[in-house]
Amino acid sequence: MITLTNLSKIFRTELIETHALRDINLQVNEGEFAALTGPSGSGKSTLLNILGTLENFDAGDYLLDGISVKGLSDAALSKLRNEKIGFIFQSFNLIKDFSIYDNIELPLRYRGLKASERKQRIEHALELVGLHARRDYLPGQLSGGQQQRVAIARAIAGQPRILLADEPTGNLDSLMARQVMELLEQINQQGCTILMVTHDPDQARRAGRHIQIIDGQLHDSTLYDPLTRQTA
Amino acid sequence: MEQLFYYLKVSWFSVKRAPLPYMLTVLILSLGLGVFFSNATFYYRMNSDPLPDKSDKLFFPMMMLVPYQCSDCKPPSVLSYSNVAKLAASDIPSAKAAMYSADGYLRQHATQPPTPVNIRITQRDFFTMFDVPLLHGSVWADDQARDELLLSKASAEKIFGRSDVTGQQLLLDDRLFTVIGVLDEWQMLPKLYDAFGRNYLNAAEDIYLPLESGYDYNYLSNRNSSTFDDADYRKLATDGRTKAIHQLQYWVQLDTPAQQQAYRQFMANLVADEKAAGRHPSAEANQLVMMRDIIRYFGGESGDIKAFAIVTLLFLLVCIFNASHLSLNRYLSNQYEFSLRRALGAKRSQLQLQLLVDMSMMSAFTLGGAAVIAYGSINLMNYLWPSNRLFASWDLQLMLVLAALTLICSYLVTLYPSLRASFGSLNKQLKE
Repeated sequence: MITLTNLSKIFRTELIETHALRDINLQVNEGEFAALTGPSGSGKSTLLNILGTLENFDAGDYLLDGISVKGLSDAALSKLRNEKIGFIFQSFNLIKDFSIYDNIELPLRYRGLKASERKQRIEHALELVGLHARRDYLPGQLSGGQQQRVAIARAIAGQPRILLADEPTGNLDSLMARQVMELLEQINQQGCTILMVTHDPDQARRAGRHIQIIDGQLHDSTLYDPLTRQTA
Repeated sequence: MEQLFYYLKVSWFSVKRAPLPYMLTVLILSLGLGVFFSNATFYYRMNSDPLPDKSDKLFFPMMMLVPYQCSDCKPPSVLSYSNVAKLAASDIPSAKAAMYSADGYLRQHATQPPTPVNIRITQRDFFTMFDVPLLHGSVWADDQARDELLLSKASAEKIFGRSDVTGQQLLLDDRLFTVIGVLDEWQMLPKLYDAFGRNYLNAAEDIYLPLESGYDYNYLSNRNSSTFDDADYRKLATDGRTKAIHQLQYWVQLDTPAQQQAYRQFMANLVADEKAAGRHPSAEANQLVMMRDIIRYFGGESGDIKAFAIVTLLFLLVCIFNASHLSLNRYLSNQYEFSLRRALGAKRSQLQLQLLVDMSMMSAFTLGGAAVIAYGSINLMNYLWPSNRLFASWDLQLMLVLAALTLICSYLVTLYPSLRASFGSLNKQLKE
């Protein structure tokens, strides 16, 4: 469902050019749970941002469900993010003065769903993350683990096909991190593709697939070779 | 509608997040607009056309008919009785009225203390020419002298306690007059029939007297008058009609360009006849000024109001700039939320709608603040320049224009900040 072909990303300043990603070729199939690991500055967050269409790339192509995102309008990219992709951030990114319910409602609002359908989806997501009783709380009234579960609920309420998680347990203690991982595994088992950036080798091992990035280049036992695919 | 309420809720939360900068932005913008509103009110009133259907048909003829040589003299703004009589001999105008103003004292009975009143001494066409509304009674049957007067509604209510007082008698400077008519509420703003010397700022008169009676009873003009022979302006009753006492304003109604051209020719012929008769050695210097141009002709445009308009406009620009700067800070501090919404699927157009609601909310607060400041500012100006008091009123049209101006200013204040916020880098904000 995700196909990257010779994808490159260069950060430019007036003085220097930094190759964040070099000729990345990658295929992620539907239902996979892949962990992206690598040292700091290796390009894993950049890759995740490109996959989430939060950032552009300089060369190569990115096909999502067979459609190239290159050249898509801003409105089309927004629609794609809203309907197909769910985000989980390291720092949760919840709006502090909005209730849990309102935070989860955010992506559904921009999809133009009716109030009754939004409510149904939010309540289902809250049930899944075990926070139904706290729907009217503010994020500041919850623990870090609970806040991340709210962020997960927000990501899955839109029923996305892909979940992009950028160090989702980075700000959590080990117990809470384990709970979040279990939740992600549960979501994956329901058919949702997950790409997760992590520094934790244990978590990377729990994912079905382990992709390493070093200096902007991919190291993966299941590397996708476009030439082989073309020949096939 | 539900989405609109959502946008309003988001805007309100954004205000609550940083109320002080928001209040400061609204206050600065309100201050600039409020001061501008108050000045705009005076400017609007002073430049408005009180008779839009007629202001290009009413004309103020001026002639210089003097028995001495004067090469660069401008015609005087007032005419002598005899010159008015010469002008009035023409049948070209659809209506014509000579007039001047005077002061008097009015009371109902000799036992009461007299009340000072302003008197317009004029002819019957005055009321039709200037669309003066009549509430009760009628105007004079002709332009002969008669002891009959018309009252303003306010004067009737002040003296009699009611407005329907036709047939009642009054003492004007201890001469008995009968009230034949009462005007409805009326105030020509600006009072263009009396434009010379900034008299257009004054209120309409309290009572109206026939011109011939004014002369007979020796009512002297309280405006400028001039004489150039042995005439004594204080002997109006005896010398006013025959000697060169110049004190009459004269208005004619010329409905068509043909009438206007014919009347110009008539005035030129009149001067030529006077020259031929040896009574006017100088060149012709006639003027026929349209009512809508009369203030400009007399150079009576208020310089202080104009200068203040420029100052307040500059002040408004400074306020917009400062408010915009504050607004930019507020939006940039909220940029994280914009980026989050964009990351979660909000289109730029949806964010711009949110910002439009934000701007409308700011406009509503600003309009309220500006109205309060403008009200205070107008009262202060009335206190400082009481002569401008009549011009300090708002009508629906002016209020709509001011509301539109507030909307535009609020839009300007939020336009650049909102664009900056909605075009920010998504990943950078969300990573921090």
